[in-house]
Amino acid sequence: MAAPLATPPVFAPAGFAVAGEPSLPTPLRRLAALDYGLAETLILLGLPPIALVGAQDWHRWVVEPPLPPGVVNLGSSREPNLELLQQLQPDAILSTPYLAGISHRLEQIAPVLTFPLYVPEGRPLALATAALERIATLTGRAAAGAAVLAQMDATFAAARTRLAAVRDRPLYLVSVMDSRHVRVYGAQSLFQDVLARVGLSNAYQGRTNFWGFTTLGIEALDPDPRAVLVYFDPVPAGAMQALGRNPLWTHLPFVRSAQVHGLPAVLMFGAAASAMRFARLLADALAPQGGSNG
Amino acid sequence: MADLALAGHAPRPARPWMLAAGITIPAAVLSMAALAQALPPALWLTAIWAPETGDGRQLLVHYSLLPRMAAAILCGAALALAGTIFQQVLRNPLASPTTLGVAAGAKLALALATLWAPGLFVFGREWIALGGGALAIGAVFALSWRKGLSPLAVVLAGLVLGLYCGAVSAALILFKEHYLTGLFIWGSGALSQQGWETVATLSLQCAAVAGLVALMIRPLTVLSLDDAGAHSLGVSLHGTRLAALSLGVALTAVVVSGVGVIGFIGLIAPALARLAGARRLRDQLIWAPVMGAGLLWLTDQLVQRTGGLSGGILPTGAVTAVFGSPLLLWLLPRLRTAAAPPRTEAAGPTRRQRAVPMLLALGGLLLLGMALSLCLGRAPDGGWSLAGLDALPGLLPWRAPRALAALCAGAMLALAGGILQRLLRNPMASPEVLGVGAGAAFGLIVALFTVTAAGREIQLAAACAGAFGVLFIIVLLGRRTGFTPERVLLAGIALGALFDALVGALTASGDPRGLLLLNWMTGSTYQVDAPQALWSAAAAVVLIALTALCARWLDLLPLGDAPGQALGLNLGRVRLILLGLAAGLTATATLVVGPLTFVGLMAPHLATRLGLHRAVPQLAGAALVGAFIMLLADWLGRMIAFPWQMPAGLIATLIGGPALMWLLAKR
Repeated sequence: MAAPLATPPVFAPAGFAVAGEPSLPTPLRRLAALDYGLAETLILLGLPPIALVGAQDWHRWVVEPPLPPGVVNLGSSREPNLELLQQLQPDAILSTPYLAGISHRLEQIAPVLTFPLYVPEGRPLALATAALERIATLTGRAAAGAAVLAQMDATFAAARTRLAAVRDRPLYLVSVMDSRHVRVYGAQSLFQDVLARVGLSNAYQGRTNFWGFTTLGIEALDPDPRAVLVYFDPVPAGAMQALGRNPLWTHLPFVRSAQVHGLPAVLMFGAAASAMRFARLLADALAPQGGSNG
Repeated sequence: MADLALAGHAPRPARPWMLAAGITIPAAVLSMAALAQALPPALWLTAIWAPETGDGRQLLVHYSLLPRMAAAILCGAALALAGTIFQQVLRNPLASPTTLGVAAGAKLALALATLWAPGLFVFGREWIALGGGALAIGAVFALSWRKGLSPLAVVLAGLVLGLYCGAVSAALILFKEHYLTGLFIWGSGALSQQGWETVATLSLQCAAVAGLVALMIRPLTVLSLDDAGAHSLGVSLHGTRLAALSLGVALTAVVVSGVGVIGFIGLIAPALARLAGARRLRDQLIWAPVMGAGLLWLTDQLVQRTGGLSGGILPTGAVTAVFGSPLLLWLLPRLRTAAAPPRTEAAGPTRRQRAVPMLLALGGLLLLGMALSLCLGRAPDGGWSLAGLDALPGLLPWRAPRALAALCAGAMLALAGGILQRLLRNPMASPEVLGVGAGAAFGLIVALFTVTAAGREIQLAAACAGAFGVLFIIVLLGRRTGFTPERVLLAGIALGALFDALVGALTASGDPRGLLLLNWMTGSTYQVDAPQALWSAAAAVVLIALTALCARWLDLLPLGDAPGQALGLNLGRVRLILLGLAAGLTATATLVVGPLTFVGLMAPHLATRLGLHRAVPQLAGAALVGAFIMLLADWLGRMIAFPWQMPAGLIATLIGGPALMWLLAKR
C-alpha cells in the first residue's frame, strides 16, 4: 500500500534544533520533499514543496490537503530522480531514514534534513508533530506552525466529543488486501495514536511491524461482539463481493450487526494532515448525526 | 539428461512408505493438536458435518482449519505429480512446475487485470490466472514446436518466457506497487482458506487430470528412452510429449490459480520418491504425490504454528523452499546420475575469418552506445536534450557511473553465463543458477532488517559477504562430488530458491523495506557512484583477463569428460577454477546491478547466433553483446518513463527476451 515512507531513527532526533546550522540558508524557501508525510506538513504550513516523489498518486492516497499545481514529480519514492533534482536546485531536501542509502548523494545536491516519522517503538503522531514544529522553525513560519497545532487540538477535541457515544466499542482498522486477507493497523500506527486522542480503543492488540500494521487472514479476526470494523479505500475490485460470500466473514459479529464502515482513502503512513483527516472522517462515519465542524 | 536415482545400487528393499509415513505422521499429529486447540474433540464431528453458526470455534474449524489442510494435501500432491511428469518428459531433474513459465504467466495476467481490467475479477481470480498460465504455456509450445517439442527446446523456451513474464510483472509492481500488494500475498502461496469452494474445485480438477495421467503411464515410460529408441517402439514423440506436458501444466495451473505460487514441492517430491526406492515410473507417479502432499501439509502446519513476521501471515509457498532447499542439499551427495548430462549444441564449423570483423563491429557499437548514453537525456520539462560541452560536466556525475557500471556488469554476466554453459554443458545455465546473486540478496536483506538505516557501505559489504558465502558453500558441496555439472546446478538452484523464498515472504508481509529490496532485485544501477563504478571496472578487467587464460579448457569441456581427460586435464581442478571464476564474475556484477542476470543467459546464445563458435571469439562476442545490452538498458531505463527510472536488469530482460525467443522460434 501507500508510499513506503520512513524507517528507523539514528539521524537527528525529531525536534532537534537545527536552526543554527551554518550551511542552511534561513528561512528555507525552495524545498523538495521525498516523503508524502513531509509534503503534507509543508502544505499545511503554506509552503508547498517545489518537487515531490510519486506526485501523480497523491490524489489517490493522500487526497487532502490537495497538491497545488506546479509541483515537479521526482518519480519513484525509492529512487527519486537525482539528475532532475539537481537541475531544480532546491534550498534543502526533506527526507526520511528510509532513504539513508542515498543520503550521501543527496548531500551533493543540497543540504538534507532527515525526519524520522516511523521508527521502532515510535509514536508517529508525536514524531509528526515534532517534525511540524521543526519545519516551521526552519522555514520561518513559527506562527503558522502554532496555528496548525491548535487546529490539530481542536480537530481531535471535536472528534472526541462526537465519538463519545461509541467509546465502548473497540475498532478494527483495516485495508482489504484481497478476498482472504486484510492489513490491520495497530500499535505504532498513526491511526492508533489518533484513536488515543479521540478516546477510542483498537480491537487489534497483537503485534505489528514498525509501520504499525500486520497482514492477517480473515479467520484470525477475533469475533468480539462489541467490535466495529472500519476499512479504507481503495478496496481491490471484487473483494467486498467475495467477502460477502465467505461464511467466516459473514458470521463475524460486526458483519452480522452491520457494523462495517467504509472510509475514503487516508494516508496510513502520513503525518499531521492525515491524522486530522482520519479523525474527521472517522467521526463522520461513526457519529454522522454530530455535524462536522472539525 | 541426468536422471537421478539412488546412490549405491545396494540391494536395499524399496520402501517408499517409510519415508512417506515419516513425513505424514508428524503432519497429522500437528493437525490434531491444532484442532484440539481450536475446539474440544467432542465437538469435532458436529463441526465437520453441521457447524453451529453461533459458535465461532466450530465455524473456524469447518471453514478455515479443515479446508486449509485439504488444500495443502491436494496442492502438494498435484504439484508433485506435475513435477514427476515434467522430469520424465523433459529428462531433466531440474524441471519443475515453475520451469515452464505457467506461474509467471498467471501472475502477469493477474497484475494486468488488477490494473487495467478489474471488472474481470467478478468472474473470479482463478479464471484470470488460468488464462494467463494457458497463454504462457501456449507460447512455450509454439516456440518449441519446430524442434518437435524436444526437452531442451521446451525447457529453454519455458525458462525464457518465465523470466520475461516475471520481468514484466516486476516492472508493473515497481510502477504500481500501491495497487498490487494483494499480488504479493498470492505470489508467495498463501494457503489460508475460508470455505470449501477452492478445495472442491481443486479436487475435481486434480482427479480428472490424475485419471488421464494413469492412462498415459506406458507412453510416458517409453519417453525415458532416447528419441530413436522411443520411435522404434512406435510411440509418437511429438504427440506424447504434448499430451504429457499439457497434463502437467494443467495440474500446475489449477494449483497456481487456486492458491498461488508454491515453489519447490514439484522439484523435491519426485526426487524424494526416487530416493526412497520408487524406481519405476509407475511407482514414482504414486509415491511422489504422497511425498508432496505430506511435505506441504507438514510445512503448512509448521507455518501456522509459528506464525509470520510481526504476528501476521507467513505465506506457506515461500516457506516450502526454506524447508525444501536444505533437504535438496542433503540429498545431493546421495543421488547419482544415470545418463549423460545435456549438451550444448555441438560447436559448429569454425569461421575464424568472420570473427574479427564481427568483434570489431560489436566494439564500435559499444562505443557509440556509450556516447549516446552520456549525452542524450531528458530536460526537467520532459523534453529531449542533447547535452553540449557546457552542460555535460554537471550531468556526468549522475550518468557516467551508471553507464560504466551497467556496461561492466553486462560484460561480466555474459562471460559468466558463457563459462557456465560450457562448463556445465547446459544451455539453460546462467549466473542465476549458481545462487550467487541470491546470496548477495540475502546479505542485503540481513543488512536492511538488522541495521537501522543501513548506509550504502554496509549494504555493499553485506551483499558481498552473502555472495561469497554462497560461493563457499557451493565449493564445499562441489568438492564432495567432484564438481560434476548437475550437482553444481542442483546446489545452486536449491540455494537460489531458499533466498528467493525469504525475499518473497518479506515482500508479502508488506514491509516497505521489501520494496526497497525489489528495486535492487530488478537490477537498478541507481545507487552506483563513481568509486563503485571504477572499482567494478577494475574488477571486470582483471576477471576478463583471467578468463582469457582458460580458453583452452573452455574449448575442450563442451566435448565431454573423456576427451578432456585424454588430453590431460585434471577435471576436478579445472572445474573448481572455472566455477570460481564464474562466481567471482557474477558476484561482482550482482553487487552493481542486482541478481537479475538474464543477460548472462542470453548474450552467449546471441554471440553463437552471430557466428562466433570457438571459446575465445564466442566469449569475447558475448561480453561485448552483454555490455551493449546492459548499457542500452540502463539508458532506456533512465529515459522511457522519465522522471521514473526503470532498473537496467529489468529492461535488459524486456528487450532481450523477445530477441532470444525469436531466435529460438526461427531455428
